[in-house]
Amino acid sequence: MQPLANVTPLKPAPRAGAIQVGNVSQVFRTSQQDVVALSDVSLEVKPGRFVVLVGPSGCGKSTLLMMMAGLRQQTSGTVLINDAPIPHPDPNRVGVVFQEPSLFPWLTAEENVEFPLALRGVAKSERRVKAEDALKLVGLDGFGKRHPHELSGGMKQRVSIARGLVQDPPVLLMDEPFAALDEQTRMTMGDELLRIWAATGKTIVFVTHSLTEAVYLADEVIVMSARPGRIVDHLTIPLPRPRTYEMLSGDTFGTLRDRIWRHIRKSA
Amino acid sequence: MAATFAVKLARIAIVVAIFAAWEILSRTGIVNPRLLPSASDTLTTLWQLLQRAAVRNDLAVTASEVLIAFVLAVPCGAGLGFLIAENRTFAEVTKPLLFFAFSIPKSIFLPMFILVFGVGFPEKVGFGFFSTIFIVIMSTTTAVESVKVEHLTVARSYGATPLQTAFRVYLPSMLPVLLEALRISMIFNLTGVILAEMYASRDGIGHQIATWGENFQMKQLLAGVVMIAANWSDR
Repeated sequence: MQPLANVTPLKPAPRAGAIQVGNVSQVFRTSQQDVVALSDVSLEVKPGRFVVLVGPSGCGKSTLLMMMAGLRQQTSGTVLINDAPIPHPDPNRVGVVFQEPSLFPWLTAEENVEFPLALRGVAKSERRVKAEDALKLVGLDGFGKRHPHELSGGMKQRVSIARGLVQDPPVLLMDEPFAALDEQTRMTMGDELLRIWAATGKTIVFVTHSLTEAVYLADEVIVMSARPGRIVDHLTIPLPRPRTYEMLSGDTFGTLRDRIWRHIRKSA
Repeated sequence: MAATFAVKLARIAIVVAIFAAWEILSRTGIVNPRLLPSASDTLTTLWQLLQRAAVRNDLAVTASEVLIAFVLAVPCGAGLGFLIAENRTFAEVTKPLLFFAFSIPKSIFLPMFILVFGVGFPEKVGFGFFSTIFIVIMSTTTAVESVKVEHLTVARSYGATPLQTAFRVYLPSMLPVLLEALRISMIFNLTGVILAEMYASRDGIGHQIATWGENFQMKQLLAGVVMIAANWSDR
């Protein structure tokens, strides 16, 4: 094969929704010692993929997600979203969905969804239309005028997802979004999220503690271990789409979940 | 607060019952009427007092002292409270000192205020300010600490500027605590000003009440008490 050393490669066009993490390390300096939260983590997420990060507490999966959101800067290495670094939050590229108490209780559901647009000074009428569309997408048509305290836990998280999607970013980052929900609501929300994902084609990076949730939702599962946080396994989930409840009791599902569990048990 | 008709009726009934008991105790002589003039006499006296220019002037003096002390104490206290909540070093240095100062009864400093400012308007405003500022500092600190970290992270992740964060996250989060704090601050403020007037003053309604008490003018004294209480319940 001919070496290609003299050929200047064409600069590829930025790929919307692509995420690249290259040799990222994160060190927290405390007065006693330096804590290595992430050690030389590299991964690539192709546009439109559903990727789940799992691992024991303290493995740095949330830290990694916050770096992708531009909310935290790595000590070394690169994080690229759409092939560009993310030195600060950029809602046009990345929407973030947090754990439950992240809605503003003094705003209605639609005002919460409009919040990112209001920050950018989008006109009220345009905001309303976009918020209504986003609420319709997450199955909350007609609930816009309610305040968070009038909504169930699952509905609140639907509002959070609508808020993350309202600016139509190519990437949606989700930090244990269903952790506070009961088991049944959690299953329903998982199916809902897969429906929304299929309808929008977003790249989703999803952090969870639940192995069942990880295997059920993901195209790929990235398993991390703690102290220092690093990637110990990267699984592709071969289960067909759409995922169904019956798959949970199948052999493939069980084998995959066991493989992840063995990693986590070893590192915890 | 939204109260149903029945609840309002019950409240009115209690007030009426208290006035009735007061009237009966005094009229029947169960309590010496010289110590406790009847409710009807007191209310008549109150009406007469309110007609007098001197009393109206006293009320105006007290109201202006209370208002100025409040307008000065709230921004100063809020600023300091905010600094304590947001600046760790400043908080570590000042918080124990402020808690200590807050726990000392303010009234023991009144003679010092008289020595520094002399008897008069600045002394009373100064003491009102001093009585109020600590509670404002404390409440503001609590209000700032009531802002949820999650909400600040959400604002940041959607690219909020510091000004947007202040007006769209801090202010609405703090508002319920702040409104309650203002109400409580007003109680401390009015108490401070009235106390200063009763202790040493040439005018103001607190001074009048103290004088009536010293002269054994029980009707006027009780009328003055009702006046301040009624004025307060408007808020």
